[in-house]
Parts: sequence; C-alpha cells; structure tokens
Amino acid sequence: MFLASTSFWLDQVVNGLTIGSMYALIALGYTMVYGVLKMINFAHGEVFMLGSYAGFGVLVAFGGESIAGPMVVLAIAAAFVGAALASASVSVVLERVAYRPLRNAPRLAPLITAIGASIFLQFLVLDVTGAKASFYPRIFPSGSIEVGAFRITYLQLFLVGCSVAMMLFLYIVVQRTAVGRSIRAVAENRTAASLMGIDVDRAIVTTFVLGAAMAGVAGVLWGLFFLQVRGSMGFLPGIKAFTAAVLGGIGSIPGAMVGGYFLGLAETVGREALSAIPGLNFPNEWRDVIAFSLLVLVLLFRPTGIFGELVSRRA
Amino acid sequence: MPDLRLWLKVPPRRDVARRLLPAAAVVLFALVPAVPFFTDPWLRVFFLVGLYVVLGLGLNIVVGFAGLLDLGYVAFFAAGAYLMGILTSPQSPVDLRLEFWVILPLALLLGALVGLLLGLPVLPLRGDYLAIVTLGFGEIIRILLVNLRDITGGSQGLAAIEKPPVPGWQRIDEPWQWYYVILVTAVAVAFLSARLRDARIGRAWEAIREDEDVAAAMGIDTVKYKLLAFATGAAVGSVGGVLFASYIGFINPTSFTLQVSINVLAVVIIGGMGNTWGVVFGAFILIGVPELLQFRETSDVLERLGWLRTALDAPFAALDALAPFGVWRVPEPETWGRLVADKRFIIYGALLVAVMVARPGGLFPSRRRKLEFEAPPPSEVAEPSALAAGGSQ
Repeated sequence: MFLASTSFWLDQVVNGLTIGSMYALIALGYTMVYGVLKMINFAHGEVFMLGSYAGFGVLVAFGGESIAGPMVVLAIAAAFVGAALASASVSVVLERVAYRPLRNAPRLAPLITAIGASIFLQFLVLDVTGAKASFYPRIFPSGSIEVGAFRITYLQLFLVGCSVAMMLFLYIVVQRTAVGRSIRAVAENRTAASLMGIDVDRAIVTTFVLGAAMAGVAGVLWGLFFLQVRGSMGFLPGIKAFTAAVLGGIGSIPGAMVGGYFLGLAETVGREALSAIPGLNFPNEWRDVIAFSLLVLVLLFRPTGIFGELVSRRA
Repeated sequence: MPDLRLWLKVPPRRDVARRLLPAAAVVLFALVPAVPFFTDPWLRVFFLVGLYVVLGLGLNIVVGFAGLLDLGYVAFFAAGAYLMGILTSPQSPVDLRLEFWVILPLALLLGALVGLLLGLPVLPLRGDYLAIVTLGFGEIIRILLVNLRDITGGSQGLAAIEKPPVPGWQRIDEPWQWYYVILVTAVAVAFLSARLRDARIGRAWEAIREDEDVAAAMGIDTVKYKLLAFATGAAVGSVGGVLFASYIGFINPTSFTLQVSINVLAVVIIGGMGNTWGVVFGAFILIGVPELLQFRETSDVLERLGWLRTALDAPFAALDALAPFGVWRVPEPETWGRLVADKRFIIYGALLVAVMVARPGGLFPSRRRKLEFEAPPPSEVAEPSALAAGGSQ
C-alpha cells in the first residue's frame, strides 16, 4: 500500500481537486463578506445547504430520475439558477435582518446573530425534512476519460470545469466592472467609499448576493457528486471552506480558490499518504481532523494565509 | 463623632441589598426539595437547570466578561465527563479506582489545561478566529470520542460511572441529593465569578472586551488575560462534565454534540451576558421550560385549551372543507408542549438574532453591558447635537 500504483495516487489527486473546487466556491462567499464587513458569516454553510435543497427541488420538478437526453443539460442549468436565486435571496434577508442593524455594534454582536441565524436555518430544515436525507437523482452521464494511468469521470470534469468558470466569472466581475469596483472600494475603506458617492449598502448586498450564488451552485454540484442532501450538510463544508479561505488569506479572492484546492488535496492525498505510513491507523473520518489541524497550524505560523494581507492581527 | 455604621462594619445600605438578595434566593432554592409538590421528575429537571447554570456561568466568564466567543464549549464539558468516565467506569482500560472527590480537582486542572492548549494558538489573533476554531474543535472532540474506542468505548460509551461517596454515609444517588450538589456548585461558581469580576483580573477582562487596543496600551497583557479567561471558563465546564457523568452514570458521544454548545451559548446570551441572574433565568427558560413542557401535568393543563385550538383552527378547518387536498390543521392542545420542546433549537436561533438586534445586552443585561451595547457608536458621538449639549452626560 505504501507505494501504491501511480493510478491510485492520480485518482486521489482528481478526488482532491473535485472536492477542493466545491470548497473554493463556498470559500469565496466567506472571503468576500469578510473583505467588506470584517465578519465571519457563520450562516454561509446553511446558505450552501439551502442552495443544494433548491437545486434538488428544481431537479425533482424536471422529473427526477426520469430526466434524460438533452433535458439533462437544461435541468442542471435550471438547478444552478434556482439554487443561486434561493441562496442569494436567503442571504439578502439575512443581511437585512441579522447583520445590517448591527453594523456599528460591538464586534461580538454580529458574530452572535450569525451563529443564531445558522442554528435557525439548520434546525428549521431538519424539522421540515424530519432530519432525513433526500437523494439527488442520478442523472449525470457516467463514464470517464482515461489517459494512461490518469482517469477522471465526466462528472468530476464537469464539477471542476464549472467551478473554474464560476470563479473566473466572479474574478472578472470584481476586477473589471463598476459593481466590482464599488465592492473593492467598500472593502478598502467604507467611509471613504461612501464619501466618493458609492452606495455602501448596495455594495454590501451585492457582495452577499455574489457569495451566496457561488455557494448555491456549489450546493448543486455537491448534490450531483455526493447524491445526498440533508439539513446538517452545511456545517462541515462551511467550516472547511472557511479554513480554505484562511489558508489562502482571508479577504483575498484568488486566495480562496487556491486555499480550496489546497484543502481538497490535503484531505484526500494527505490522508492517504498518512494512512500509508505503516503502523499509523488513520480512519476516513479523520479527514475532518486534517482540515482543522491545518487551520490551527496556519493561524499559528502564517495567520495571513498564502495571499492575505495582514488582517488577522488586530489592526 | 465617628460614623457608627463604619465602626460596626455595617456595609452601606445598597450593599446590604446586594448581599441579602442572593442569600435569600439561595435559602429559597435550598427549600425546594422540601416542597412535596416538587417530585423527583421536577428535581431532575432542576438538576439539569442547575447544571446549565454552572456551564452558563463558566461560559459567561469567557463571553460575558472577556468578550471572547467560544462556540465549542462542549469540548471542555466532554473533557470533564470523560475524565470521570475513564477513571471510574469498569469498561475503561484505566483501573485507578479514584473517587469522585479526587477527580473533581483533577478535572479542574484538565479543563484549564485543555483551554490553554486550545487558546494558545488562537487567542493572540482576532476574536472571530477563536469562534471558528472552537466551533471546529467541538466537532473534533466528538470525532475523537467516537474513534478512540480503546479508551472512550467509541459510540457505545462508558457505563456504570461512580457516584460521589459521602464519608460515613451512602453514595449520592437520590434526585434531591443531586439537587443539593448542583445547588452548592452553582452558588460556589457564582460567588467565584462575582469575585473574579470585581477583582483586578475582572477589570482587565472588561477593559479587553471594551477595546483590546486601548487595554494593551494601558499596559494590560491582553494575551495573558484572554488565556486566563478561556482557561477559567474551560475549568468550570470540565467540572460540569464531571457532575453530569456521575449523575447520569453513563456517557457516550451523543451527549457531547454541538447542541450542548448552542444551549450554553443561548443561556448566556439570551439571559444577559455578564449577569449571574440572567444566566439563572436563561437556564430556567431555555433548559427547564422545554423539559417541563413535556411533563404529563403540562399536557393535562394544555388539554383544557381545546377552545383556543378550535378558534385557531377555524380558518384551516374552513379551508380543509373547501380545498380538494389535505390542509395543515392546528394540532391537539395536549401536544403543544412537546411541539415547542421539539422545535427549541429553531426558537433558540431566532431568539439569538432577535435578542442581539433588539436588546443586545440580553433580557437581563448587566449594568456594564447595557452601557456598552446601548451607547451610541463612536462615530455618532461627535455630532453637533452632542456638542450643543455642552458635552455633559
């Protein structure tokens, strides 16, 4: 097992990239909100979960398991749109109800409303669904591309492709459009931005909408890949995506992407590498321990992350 | 003429009230088991409330005094409970035959140590990081408890945990005896935390909470004091865990989930950060009431609310008669208590948001907290209206 075949390790790399691209998409929401408001949006994991449910609803409306042929493309596209819309709407409401009234309050206050909103959404969905999982229809064409020892399924290719496309789109929006410029200005200095005539509230809401839409799409991708949605599904991906954001340097958009992929690889390849060491028993559930240990290590040795500016120390 | 009050060492009048009221309340609480109405099930609920008062007071030191958001308080609770379990359960590999009274101080140390170890990498950083790291740590502890099967018994857990022995008497087992154990613990923790709050260390915590930079500029070693707050809170949580394990006699990882952390946080925040009575009230409302709602007596009382159910249900009934599909109907009144209890976490979540937005100091804010949360933000202080008022208070 220690020197397993090349194909085994390549499989792990592909798995890592697949899961990493979902972490990266979710991490974008954390990092953008942190950029403008300097707060951790704890409810972001639940926004992701609600997006996954919305996508599930759309797919069921399209016929569930019976979707076939060209309808698959349409159904998945509709699921993306539905999930992005649902996540964005929830996020806008959250911002309005739980965060905006506390923008000038002590730092502790919005953190507490964020965790409260997270608990509320999670247990509401658990209550409505009876804490049972729902199952995404298995509609994505199976099969894979193989080049020598390298193998990637169509679904994984689609996942990674979609995420990269979404991230590029976001990057262009933030860097090249007027909306993006206003977001960056607010992140830089809220007061100065408002003096320059930027509608700060609008920039903040836009940030929430963009981040939530990414999380919603990630929710659909998650469902297509793991085929299961449940009310508690947002918790761990939420923490891990936050870890990814910190790894990359919170507040930095390219950082969130790199952090996501890094964490995905660390979880899959890293775990296999650790369990390949003879005598070290490393069960699968300990994946989560890896992510968490990484978070603590990064905070300990390089709190600015890979790309981050010095924001984690008190300014 | 010398002041007679001073000579007799009578404290000023306001202080008498501040000392007599808690004393009176404690006497009242101590009389509870003597009331025949409070049968064993009631006393068990009160034990649970008392346990959450202890945990709440512990977390209050971290969140309320020092302003550090700890979302993984369950980790310390679990540390104490498993220490008790591992050292006394016949199912654990450790066979030291230690007694409860020896383990209690050990748990205090262990809790403080775990708190220090967790706090060290995070506390030099900004508060938000502490929140997410503790959130993750609470989950990691649960994974460890499930997976370290040889020591913790895995998901099976540990059974037959010892009860505290009383020299020359029996082991503490009856609900009324446990009620007194938790009452004494809660009073001790409340007394300690009040003393800490008023001492130098408490003022340092308060200064850090209000403004860390200013506190540091005033010469307060912020990292040291934050670590102390974290470790103190952790030690209290760990003691709570020992009591819980010994009381229940059986522990497994399902007792140590994120929900415990949420419960304790809700008790502290909704009751009122920094305020002992707020924590007591919060524990009663959030922990006690959901249990009492599930009592047989409660459903007997609720049963009489049939008229209210009919009134509330009228529109749904009318719709049901007209619509071709099934319409949701208001459930029978005797099930209402259980319904509310089942949905308690949804309610906690909503309450956390509502309380923070509408009454950020909690339902019973401490005097200090009230000032902090309800004072205008710094940017508004320098507005002309304030200047026009001559800058006076």
